[in-house]
Amino acid sequence: MLVGLIVVWLLVNFFKDPSEFAAVFLIGLTNGTVYGLVAIGYTLVYGILQLINFAHGDVFALSGLVSFTVLVDWLGVTPADSTAVAVGGILFTLVVVMAVFATVNVTIEFVAYRRLRHAPRLAALITAIGMSFIVQNVGLALYDVDFRSASGLIPRTNVFEIGDVSYTWNKFMVILITVPVLVLLTWFVASTRHGKAMRATAQDRDAAAMLGINVNRTISVTFALAGALAAVGGVLFLTQFNMRYDTGFELGLIAFTAAVLGGIGNLTGAVLGATLIGLIQAFNEGLAWHAPGSDWTRSIVFGILIAILVFRPEGLLGERTPEGA
Amino acid sequence: MADLLTATAVRKDFGGLVAVNDIDFTIPERSIVSLIGPNGAGKTTFFNMLTGVYNPTAGRIVFAGVDVTGKPPHAITELGVGRTFQNIRLFSFMTALENVLVGMHARLTGGIVRSILRTPGLRREERVARDRARELLRFSGLRGRDDELARNLPYGDQRRLEVARALATEPQLLLLDEPTAGMNPQETDAFTGFVSRLRSEQDLSVLLIEHDMRVVMGVSDRVTVLDYGEKIAEGTPKEIQHDERVIEAYLGTGATA
Amino acid sequence: MAREQRATGGGGGRAALLARTTLERLRSRAFLLVAIGLLLFYPSYVDSAQDLELMGEFFPSLNSMVIMIVFTMMAVGLNIVVGYAGLLDLGYVAFYAAGAYTAAWFASLQFEQVTFHFGAVGVSEDLPGIHISIWLVLLLAALFTTVVGIMIGLPTLRLRGDYLAIVTLGFGEIIPQFVRNGDSIAGFDLTHGTFGISPIDSPGFGSTLNDTFGLPESYRQATNAQELFFWTAVVLLLFTVFCSVRLRDSRLGRAWIAIREDETAAAAMGVPLMRTKTWAYALGAFFGGIAGAYYASFKSGAFPADFYFNISIFLLCMVILGGIGSVWGVIVGGMVLGWLNVEGLATIGSKVNEATGIDFEVPKYQFGIYGFIIVLMMLFRPVGLIPERRHQRELEEGVHDEPLYDATHEGN
Repeated sequence: MLVGLIVVWLLVNFFKDPSEFAAVFLIGLTNGTVYGLVAIGYTLVYGILQLINFAHGDVFALSGLVSFTVLVDWLGVTPADSTAVAVGGILFTLVVVMAVFATVNVTIEFVAYRRLRHAPRLAALITAIGMSFIVQNVGLALYDVDFRSASGLIPRTNVFEIGDVSYTWNKFMVILITVPVLVLLTWFVASTRHGKAMRATAQDRDAAAMLGINVNRTISVTFALAGALAAVGGVLFLTQFNMRYDTGFELGLIAFTAAVLGGIGNLTGAVLGATLIGLIQAFNEGLAWHAPGSDWTRSIVFGILIAILVFRPEGLLGERTPEGA
Repeated sequence: MADLLTATAVRKDFGGLVAVNDIDFTIPERSIVSLIGPNGAGKTTFFNMLTGVYNPTAGRIVFAGVDVTGKPPHAITELGVGRTFQNIRLFSFMTALENVLVGMHARLTGGIVRSILRTPGLRREERVARDRARELLRFSGLRGRDDELARNLPYGDQRRLEVARALATEPQLLLLDEPTAGMNPQETDAFTGFVSRLRSEQDLSVLLIEHDMRVVMGVSDRVTVLDYGEKIAEGTPKEIQHDERVIEAYLGTGATA
Repeated sequence: MAREQRATGGGGGRAALLARTTLERLRSRAFLLVAIGLLLFYPSYVDSAQDLELMGEFFPSLNSMVIMIVFTMMAVGLNIVVGYAGLLDLGYVAFYAAGAYTAAWFASLQFEQVTFHFGAVGVSEDLPGIHISIWLVLLLAALFTTVVGIMIGLPTLRLRGDYLAIVTLGFGEIIPQFVRNGDSIAGFDLTHGTFGISPIDSPGFGSTLNDTFGLPESYRQATNAQELFFWTAVVLLLFTVFCSVRLRDSRLGRAWIAIREDETAAAAMGVPLMRTKTWAYALGAFFGGIAGAYYASFKSGAFPADFYFNISIFLLCMVILGGIGSVWGVIVGGMVLGWLNVEGLATIGSKVNEATGIDFEVPKYQFGIYGFIIVLMMLFRPVGLIPERRHQRELEEGVHDEPLYDATHEGN
C-alpha cells in the first residue's frame, strides 16, 4: 500500500517535470555516496563489536573540518586555482586526513571501548554516546560554531548534459573518488590477511582468538578503516556542502539508518541503503509536487529506521538468524 | 483421556536444518516421563517449544485442554508449566527468596496503584507469598539460604533453587532440563528421590531431560528417545534398555551416520 | 508439606542482625529527614547562604533550584526505565515535550477559537483559550504522556537493547520535529511551530488554594510565588521518589529486575515481558509528563528548541553519574548536574577565568563535559557515585544480556 503510494508519487513527479526529477535524482545519488562512506564505518564496527559506534558521525564531521584546515588554510587552494591544483590539493588532503582519522578512530577504540569489551552491551553504547559528545565538542573548540565549506573548488562544468539536466564534474568527483575507495575496501576485506581476520573475528571472536588471530589488532584495523572512510566522506562532504561541529549528529544518524536499512554488518547493504536514503532525502526535499519538504527529513529517516528495526531488523540484504544473535 | 500434555506432529526447522521432525508425544497426568537421546538430538529444542521459547514450524501442542502452540512463555507458565534450564539461569543477583518470589509473579496480583499505596490487602498478599516462598525453599532443601544471593549458592543448591523457583509458578507439569548435570552421585541420588517426592507430595507430572541413565531408569514411567530430531523409540525403561535402535544410537555403530 | 512449621531461623544471631538493620534503617531515615528538611527550608536561608564569602556563589537561586528539581524528577522517572528495567531510553525528552505541550494546550491562549475555563485561578474570566487549573493539567499531562509512552513502547519494546535505544532516540527526534512543524496540520495550528506556546498559566497559588488550606495572609502575595513554585517542585519530587521506591520493592519491581538480569528466565517464570516492560516505560513517561507540564507552567511557555536530543542524554548522564537504578544516587546526580547546567558551569567558569586570566567559555562546552563524565563513569565507576548494591555487582560481574528468547513472537 504505502510502497504503491510512494511509487505513484514518484511517477507523478517524474512525468510532471522529468528534468527536475533527474536533477534531484543526481543530488540524491551524490548525497547517498557520502552517506555510504559513513555507513560502512557503522557497519564494520557493528559487525565486529556489535557496538553502535555513536561517535562515528562526529568523527566524520571533525574530519571534514580538519580537511578544511588542510585544504584551504594550509594548502591555500581557492576556487581561483586551476582544476589540476584543486584536484591535487583534494587528493593530498584525502591522504592526510585519512591517516589522521584512522589514527583518531583507533585511539577512540583503545581509550574508550576496549576496556568495555566484556561489559554489558549497553555500557559500551552509553560510552559511545559520551564519546560522540566529546568529539563534537573538540570540533566546537577548534572551529567554533561557524560553517566551513570548500565547494566551488571543482568547476561546475558538465560531464554530460541531457536536455535541461546536467551532471557536473563537481558532483561526479564524489563518485570518481568513492568508487575506487570501495573497490579497494572490498579487496581488502575479501583478500588480505587483515580482511580475513576481520571477518573471522566478526563471526566469532573467541574462536578467532583460538585460531591465533590477534583480536585486538584486528579490531584496531577495523576502526582504522572506519575512520579513514569517514575521512573520505568528510572531505567529499566539505567539497559539496557547508559543515560545522554538529553536522555529524544528524548525518551520523542518517548513515546509521542506511546501514540498518541495508542490513547491519553487510558492506554492500550499507552502500545500497545509503544510496536509497540519499535518494529518499533528495526526493523529499527536492521534488515540487506534494513533497513533505526538508522540515520532515529527520522524521522520515527515523520513521524508516524504526520501521526497519521493528519489522525487518535484518535489513534488506541481511540474513535472518534463528536466535537473533 | 488423562493426558496432561499432547504434542502432535511437532516440527522445528532452523533455516534448512530440521532440529525436531514431526514428533508425537504425550505426558499422562501424574507421570514422570523422560526424554533422552545423544547430544544434538533435539531434546532441548523440543523442550523450548513446549515452553513457548520457540514457535514450532508445524504441529500442535495442547496442554490441559488448551492449545498452547505458539503462545508466549509467560502464558504457558501461567497455565501451569514450570521449567528449569539446562545451563542454570537464576537471577544471580537476587536472593534465593526473591528468585522464588519472581516465580510467583503470575499468581500474585499486586498492581501499580496498590504497590504504591501498600494497601493492607497487598501487605497480606506479600506476607503470604514470602511465607510460601520460604516453605518452598525448605521443601527443596534450601533451609536457611533465603537471603543468600543466588550466585553465591553452591552448584547443587542452585539446581535446587531453580526447581523451587519453578515450583513457585504452581505448575501442573514440571519440565526439568538435565537437572543432575554436574552433580556428584550422592547429590544425584538425593535429587532422584526429590523428583519422586514431587509427584507423590505435590501431585505433579514431570518431564525430564537427562543423560544419567540411572536417574532415568530409576524414576521414569516412560522414556522417549530422540535421535537427529526423530523419535526412535518409546516405552517403559525396561523396553528402552533392550531396544536395538536405542543401543545403536548411543553406541554409534556407524549405521546412523 | 508441613505448613504449620513456621520458619523460625536461628536464635541469637538473628536478633543482633535485626537490631543492626533497625539501627541502620533509623540512621538512613534520619539522614533522609535532615536532607528533606534542608531542602524544604532552602528559601529561608538561601539569601544569607548566597552572601557567604567564597562559598556564596555556589548556592543556586530559588529559580535555579526549581529547574534543578524538575530535571531531577525527570531523571528519577528515567531511572525506572533505565535503572530498574534495564531498557536504555535515549528519547526521554519526548515525554518532557508531551507533558509541556499538554500544559500549553490546556492552560494558555493557544486555542483562542474556544473559551473554556475550569478551575483556573488568577486567569481573567473572559480570556479566550482553554484554561484548566494547572493542578488538573498536571494530571492530564501525566495521563497523556503515559499514553504516548505506551504507544511508543508497544511496537518497540520487543527489540533488543541497543536497537531499542536507537528507536527511542528516533522517537525523541520525531516528536520535537512534529512539534516544530505542527503549526499547520491540515491548516490547524496545533503547536504554534518554532515560536512555541507562551504564556502558559501559572498554577495560581492564589485565593482558592489559600482559602482551602487557610494559609496566612502573607502567602497571598505575588512576591512569594517563587517560594511556592519551589515547594511544589519539592513535593512533586518527593512524590516521584516515593512512588519509585515503593514500585522498586513491589511485585512489579522484582519482575523488572528479573527482566534486566535474564529475560528468558523471567518469561519462563510467568513474567509477561512486553507488559512488564511497557509498564516501566509508561511509568517513566508518567513522571516525565508531570515534570514537563510543571516546568512549562513555571517558565510559562513550551518551546520546541527545549526538546532536543542533548536533553535526553543530559538526563541519562544524571542517572549514570548518580548510579543506575539507585534512587538516592539519581537524586544526587540530578541535583549536581542540574546545578552545573543552570549555574554551576558559569560560576566555575568565571572563577577559573578569574584565577587564570584566560577566557574560556565553560558553559559552551557543557555537553562535552557531560560526555566526558559519561565516558569516565562508564570506564572507571560504572555503578555511579551512590550505587544500588545489586546493580553494582551486576555491572562488575556481568549478566546474561543475550536473551535466548527475543520476544519477537509475543503478542500482548
